[in-house]
Amino acid sequence: MVDAARQPRIDVRTYTEVEKVEGFVGNFKVTLREKAKHVLADRCNGCGDCAKVCPVEVPNYFEMNLAPRKAAYVPMSQSVPLIYNIDLDACIHCYKCVEACGPLEAIDFSQEDKLVEEDIGAIIVATGFSHFDPSVMEEYGYSRYPNVITSMEMERLNNSAGPTAGNLIRPSDHKNPKRLAFINCVGSRDKRYNPSCSNFCCMYSIKNAVLLKQMNPDVDITIYYMDIRTPSKGYEEFYDRARELGIHFTQGRPSMITEDKETHNLFVHSEDITLGKVIEEEYDMVMLNQAAIPQPDQDHMSSVLNVAQSPGGWFMEYHPKLRPMDSPTDGIFFAGACQGPKDIPSSVAQGSAAASRASRILNSEKWEIEPTVAVVWPERCSATTRGRACGICAKACPYGAINIFSPEIPAEVVTAKCHGCGACVAECPEDAITQLHYTDAQILAQMRALLADKPEEKILAFRCHWCSYGGADLAGTSHFEYTANERGMRVMCSARMDTDFIYEAYRLGAGAVLYSGCHPQDCHYITGQLIGAKRAERLKKMFERMEMTDGRFRVEWISAAEGDKYARVLNEMQTVLDNMDKDELRAEIERLKPDMEKRLKKFPNVPGVSESMAYSDTLVSAINTQKKEPA
Amino acid sequence: MSHSGSSQSFADEVKAIPGGEFVELCFSCGTCVSKCMIQQKLEPEYNPRRLLRMVIMDMKEDAFDSPTTWLCSACDLCYPACPQQIHISGVITAVKEIAVEQGGKTTLKTAAVDQQTCVSCGLCAEACPYEAISLVQTKVPYRGLVQVAQVDPGKCMACGLCSAVCRSTSIGVPDDYTDKALMENLWDWLQPEGVTF
Repeated sequence: MVDAARQPRIDVRTYTEVEKVEGFVGNFKVTLREKAKHVLADRCNGCGDCAKVCPVEVPNYFEMNLAPRKAAYVPMSQSVPLIYNIDLDACIHCYKCVEACGPLEAIDFSQEDKLVEEDIGAIIVATGFSHFDPSVMEEYGYSRYPNVITSMEMERLNNSAGPTAGNLIRPSDHKNPKRLAFINCVGSRDKRYNPSCSNFCCMYSIKNAVLLKQMNPDVDITIYYMDIRTPSKGYEEFYDRARELGIHFTQGRPSMITEDKETHNLFVHSEDITLGKVIEEEYDMVMLNQAAIPQPDQDHMSSVLNVAQSPGGWFMEYHPKLRPMDSPTDGIFFAGACQGPKDIPSSVAQGSAAASRASRILNSEKWEIEPTVAVVWPERCSATTRGRACGICAKACPYGAINIFSPEIPAEVVTAKCHGCGACVAECPEDAITQLHYTDAQILAQMRALLADKPEEKILAFRCHWCSYGGADLAGTSHFEYTANERGMRVMCSARMDTDFIYEAYRLGAGAVLYSGCHPQDCHYITGQLIGAKRAERLKKMFERMEMTDGRFRVEWISAAEGDKYARVLNEMQTVLDNMDKDELRAEIERLKPDMEKRLKKFPNVPGVSESMAYSDTLVSAINTQKKEPA
Repeated sequence: MSHSGSSQSFADEVKAIPGGEFVELCFSCGTCVSKCMIQQKLEPEYNPRRLLRMVIMDMKEDAFDSPTTWLCSACDLCYPACPQQIHISGVITAVKEIAVEQGGKTTLKTAAVDQQTCVSCGLCAEACPYEAISLVQTKVPYRGLVQVAQVDPGKCMACGLCSAVCRSTSIGVPDDYTDKALMENLWDWLQPEGVTF
């Protein structure tokens, strides 16, 4: 930490909050609130004379409130930079500190918060995690029984720099406990509080047990657990060592802790699952291994940084396996537990990865993005035509890349933020947005070519680039046989599969249409699939109302590994067509045509679409005539 | 123990009954067992965790033989303690329902109705916490077709509340817990002097 502070190109800002983040990758404008310390940073030399004379004592948060600190304080003795801070909430304005500071004149009670704006290229978020407060679990009696402590309190009590200088004592009578119980999964893996596993607590309680046992082999330690999870390298060996040291492991989640009012000893009630019996054991002290939870202001930070949160409140990564250190917003990275509970090795690994990802941005002149970005035709946006921007595109965008500054100004795509899923393009009711390389006109031309000849025999399959296209590819390379009547269409995401395309396919007389994309959790574009799925459901219901034969419109989520599923779905669709009488199918297509045409009334007005229609019509007729007159 | 190859497993049967839906979420932490008063005060063999395990492992016969199936009073001490939020008494009730359907019999002495004196006032049906009592038209000797209370032995937990509210002493838990037996016990205990029956 000291080395980092000394590095001339590292600027450490403590006691500073991020107020606002604007801009995009490489060009962030960040507003910082440097909170008033009431001590001038350039004058304070960290001698601590102010703290010595300060008469006010308040609980020390760093020591888990087990020790006091003064109103003039540093958070901990190793703080970097070592600059004292006057806690005005506690200060009684006796000004003894000013006297003690003397000629340095470092204390300034008139100091106020300062707002500074900085140009930032890349942001690494490393805001860490917070702890679950076990006092809400009445059965364990934390905060009622003095000798029930949390793991963080234990951490301070057996730390040689802690309030007891590493001498583990119990709070009720300051005696050294002989019998200790550790309870794992307090508030984690518990649907009433936090359903997820906190990842590091198993190892953490074993570590504490081994530490205590090594210091004093006479202590008797029991760890109550549901499952011991030691999945990383060397962890299981460590667990083994704990067993060798004579630490007891009891499988069973305690239901209740009771206390002897006289001795303040504790009784832990649990079922010993291995024995199948209820046991009640007496201990001098109980440590609760509380859950790791997101920081209390994680929601606020998520809106400041414009990064989404996963279920549970942690920051959401771009991709859980392939890009775990990237946020969905380019140029913002995660390190450590702010993205999900993780232990020290994983945090260090993620931190280093995030730093190297960020340095790629800082060291490049230009930043390349996907060319398939969205572009707005401002003259078609409802802000221009009707004077009120509808905002549907901004709502659909998974990246917050669309700005609508006021209802009269057309929507604006921040190109650097756009990832090219096409959700806004398909959702826009005015057809005022287009996606480069996947314009309506281009897709339409492809569709027309594919459905040029005997469309009623064809199955038009819309596949998303990342999953179902890969699935179809795999079906091919694996030689899974499927119907030759399939005609594949690639778009970037199921969110791009515009209702107009589906209507147009049926208008052109397609036998069947497949609407396919990633599985809900696997979408490459965060929430793109959800938008596509919602639209697909709407279409499905509509076609049901139109009494289209069941199976002619099919919605399937197929991953890149599910080649067999792709082949199966296509074959099933072919069976639907095979089971239909040819004339009946043609009659149904003709019956639905006017309805489709009605729904497509506005479609030819989209820039490029009517030209594309005319051009592909000539092409199609050329193809057809060529077929009829073999060379 | 065997995994039956039938299409509907025991767990599926239990899950089909309202209350039994979440049985497979159980990860066997044992909190319910150490919360349970029946286990600690009455029957050491009683173990909800094991019953849930038997359901998951398709051990139907063992489940029907287990005292857990029959003794749960649905006090729901375990429900708020369960980290998986499984309504355990709901699962046990579902198991019991299946057991009764397939000929299982409770080990409890369930309430019985004296059809000769029952006036079908419905007080007992209203009072029963297990919804085990209904009023039905029945042919009763000497009385003809009349409406009387009927106890579903699959649901009755022999708590005796019906007997306490009945005004015509027509319903109650037989043998040791009839009004008469209880009164005699009480008199014995008080040992009043100079009072004879």
